[in-house]
Amino acid sequence: MEFKDFKTIVADAAKRAGIEDYELYYVSKEESEVSLFNGEPTDFTASLTGGVAFRCIVGGHMGSAGTQELSPEQAESLVRRAKDNALTLEKEAEVFFAEGGAAYPECRPMSMPVLTPDELMHAALAANEALKVSHEKITDRCSTQAVTLQTQTSLMNSRGVDLSWTNSVDAVILDAVVSDGTEDNEDFDIKAGDPAGLDLKEIAGKTAARAAAKLGAGVAPTGVCPVVFAPSAMYSLLITFASAFSAENARKGLSALKGKEGEVVASELVTLTDDPFYPENVYPQPFDGEGSPTARKDLIAGGVLKTLLYDLSTAHDAGKQTTGNASRSSYDSPVSIQPYTLVLAPGKLTEEELLAQCGNGVWIDTLGGTHAGANPISGDFSLQSSGFLVENGKKTAAVRSFTVSGNFFDLLKSITALSDKAELPRIGLPSVATPAVLVRELTISGK
Amino acid sequence: MISREICAKILEAAVSTGADYAEIFAENSMNHTISMVSGKVDSISDGVVSGAAVRVYKGLRSVMATTVDLSEEGLLRCAKKAAAALGEGKAELSIVLRDRLYTNIHPVRVVPSSAPNREKVEILRAACRGAYDYDKRIRQVTGGFLDVDQNILIATTEGIRATDRRIRTRINVTALADAKDGGTQTGSCSPGRRMGMELFEKEVDAEAVGREAARQAIVMSEAGYCPAGVMPVAIGNGFGGVIFHEACGHSLEASSVAFGLSQFAGKLGEKIAGEKVTAYDDGTIPNAWGSLNFDDEGTPTRRNVLIENGVLKTYMIDKFNGRRMGLPSTGSSRRESFEYTPTSRMTNTFIGEGPDENEAIIASIDNGLYAAAMGGGSVNPTTGEFNFAVREGYLVRNGKICEPVRGASLVGRGSDVIMNIDMVGKDRLLAEGMCGSSSGSVPVCVGQPMIRVSSITVGGR
Repeated sequence: MEFKDFKTIVADAAKRAGIEDYELYYVSKEESEVSLFNGEPTDFTASLTGGVAFRCIVGGHMGSAGTQELSPEQAESLVRRAKDNALTLEKEAEVFFAEGGAAYPECRPMSMPVLTPDELMHAALAANEALKVSHEKITDRCSTQAVTLQTQTSLMNSRGVDLSWTNSVDAVILDAVVSDGTEDNEDFDIKAGDPAGLDLKEIAGKTAARAAAKLGAGVAPTGVCPVVFAPSAMYSLLITFASAFSAENARKGLSALKGKEGEVVASELVTLTDDPFYPENVYPQPFDGEGSPTARKDLIAGGVLKTLLYDLSTAHDAGKQTTGNASRSSYDSPVSIQPYTLVLAPGKLTEEELLAQCGNGVWIDTLGGTHAGANPISGDFSLQSSGFLVENGKKTAAVRSFTVSGNFFDLLKSITALSDKAELPRIGLPSVATPAVLVRELTISGK
Repeated sequence: MISREICAKILEAAVSTGADYAEIFAENSMNHTISMVSGKVDSISDGVVSGAAVRVYKGLRSVMATTVDLSEEGLLRCAKKAAAALGEGKAELSIVLRDRLYTNIHPVRVVPSSAPNREKVEILRAACRGAYDYDKRIRQVTGGFLDVDQNILIATTEGIRATDRRIRTRINVTALADAKDGGTQTGSCSPGRRMGMELFEKEVDAEAVGREAARQAIVMSEAGYCPAGVMPVAIGNGFGGVIFHEACGHSLEASSVAFGLSQFAGKLGEKIAGEKVTAYDDGTIPNAWGSLNFDDEGTPTRRNVLIENGVLKTYMIDKFNGRRMGLPSTGSSRRESFEYTPTSRMTNTFIGEGPDENEAIIASIDNGLYAAAMGGGSVNPTTGEFNFAVREGYLVRNGKICEPVRGASLVGRGSDVIMNIDMVGKDRLLAEGMCGSSSGSVPVCVGQPMIRVSSITVGGR
């Protein structure tokens, strides 16, 4: 059954159940992917997935239910389940649907070409060829993938909102496995774009070089020292602690930034913006998961916390406007509050100058285990790391299998310099664009 | 679900271009989660996962197509798409399907998807109350009640057509306490089983779940930071087994081993761990969180001895990667849902009982750490580098457990660390977790008795 027919049946069912305030959210994803191992095709997947979520306000509460099965029986079941869920809820916050008639930002979707299986195969093979000649330490155990993905999102509600958005993205993934005969290492990269326009040779070369640089790496010495977080590591930290900016988490007492709007929360060098249209991130969003318009906004400017991220309910509580940050990670996920692309404004130093300012310390470019070794509520972290020693202002020996420990909120205050170029290490929602960041001191645990 | 006749038609279409194996995995699942914050029902997530995947193999190539259209036409379209992607060829298989009935080793008495919300809310309320009542310093409690009712059908060109209903229920509580030096410390507890609502009759006392989360938060609120350095570590039973899961388990999965991307590739029959280590992956434990009657390719699960007295005995293998390795499936193929390509995964993975007393393990440490409770972790199977977090830790001095410490993580290389397991206790216990990998998030148990790792890097400050 098509969504447009399903929509009508749900509207009828809602009416019969005496529900006046409701919303339907529909996501349809079509994705094809080719995977190669050492240039040999191993997997091809073609998927057509997605589903519908129905939300309704009953008795002052927001009930919801979702399904992937678009049938008349499921239409009835959706309405019944959502109503029953609403009647079970006890949360005291007021709930809202977006009102129709709002002005939406002018933003263009990505319209990369929908690739055929042959074109995907060609792209993945080209990536493999590029890897084969990328580095002297490269092995015949590398893999590559090419993906084409179209996502259609629709949101309509009983308040007159009726929105639809289609985004098409292609990407190539390279996994470089290198070896020096005694140990292996790997690194990977994902690059979005029409594969025909990607410089695969350069991407493969950089990926393999990153992996090879860590072969034979030692362990950093235990101690307290200045730390430079490369963009790839700063990305991991900011993604992990982004939940502190959620007004919903603040409302629940689960954010250390609760009640701190207007206060200094970071070094004056720190300006952090949330951007739904960041050009390199390939998922521009004109409306959020509740159908509110999105907008760019500063979260921290000159070290001062300007705003948290709000949806309709938390904004009402705080006497503010929504910032358009209601998010749904999949068609039936509950609405949560998330940033789009967090952009940490670059500073003034070149990478060389930043290292010189660091003097003697550690350059960290990879952080692992953020889901376990970091506490987003307290800000404490102790994370698996790898990178390079910094000696007399220069990157020297590669180091790995050590940890860096500290507190994220203290770290924000002890940033002493930023490099002059922001990078977006990974596409996705949410994502982070950041320069390299120098932190006064943190604890390293190694040998 | 899908009749035998239609299954046969779909498989015929799937092998029409020369595939040497084809499989249908169809699913209709209900996932329901109630969340509670500050003693009030905060949100309910309620979804139906419904769709099918058709997979075909030819030699070492695999193609999978998925659809949410479960009509005969939709399924045939999906099968033809998979067949077309394999290339041009002629059908070489004839399809004969026989229904297979597997013994259900995970009986469920009260199906949770049929229980009213209020029943689940009352259990969750009791659990959260358990945390609040434990200590006045608990300032916030969040909790969740999760139940999944997964109905699956698998049909393959090997002639199997089988269905299963996989029901699981879990409760979790996280308690927050203000730390003595500012900041917030958390404790959590989250038991679950392949069971229905009867879980809360004998197996799990909801209030005790809340009390355990609160106890941990209070202990940690009084803890100072863990020191940094390399030291001996005693790791407690139950969720402590996450060390084996990360440091070794993932690297024994065929998805890494088949491609030579594991530290343990090519090491069958070799000594890879301390000799007191015997480890299992057992998907057959009745009602255990990670158990299955049969895996997601229709192979019955079994008790695999992975390591015996330190010697590597077997990997965990799915059908597709098994082709590359020249080895049969070990009943280890898993996927979160039809949307994921299945691959080799763990079920209930644990280190078995050893010869040592817990007291002797602690007494053997002059200066080290006792990790009483662990959080999650992760690993890169290619390099073996892993990390995991200590949720509740204590310093050990002169063979005695001393003050609690917080904020520690353990890092190292799997091949080094499992070799360094030199004492193994007797109090084996399983604990529940969710494991994320390429085929999605699947329920698993980890487990062990108390063990000692003679030397490991402790990340503190």
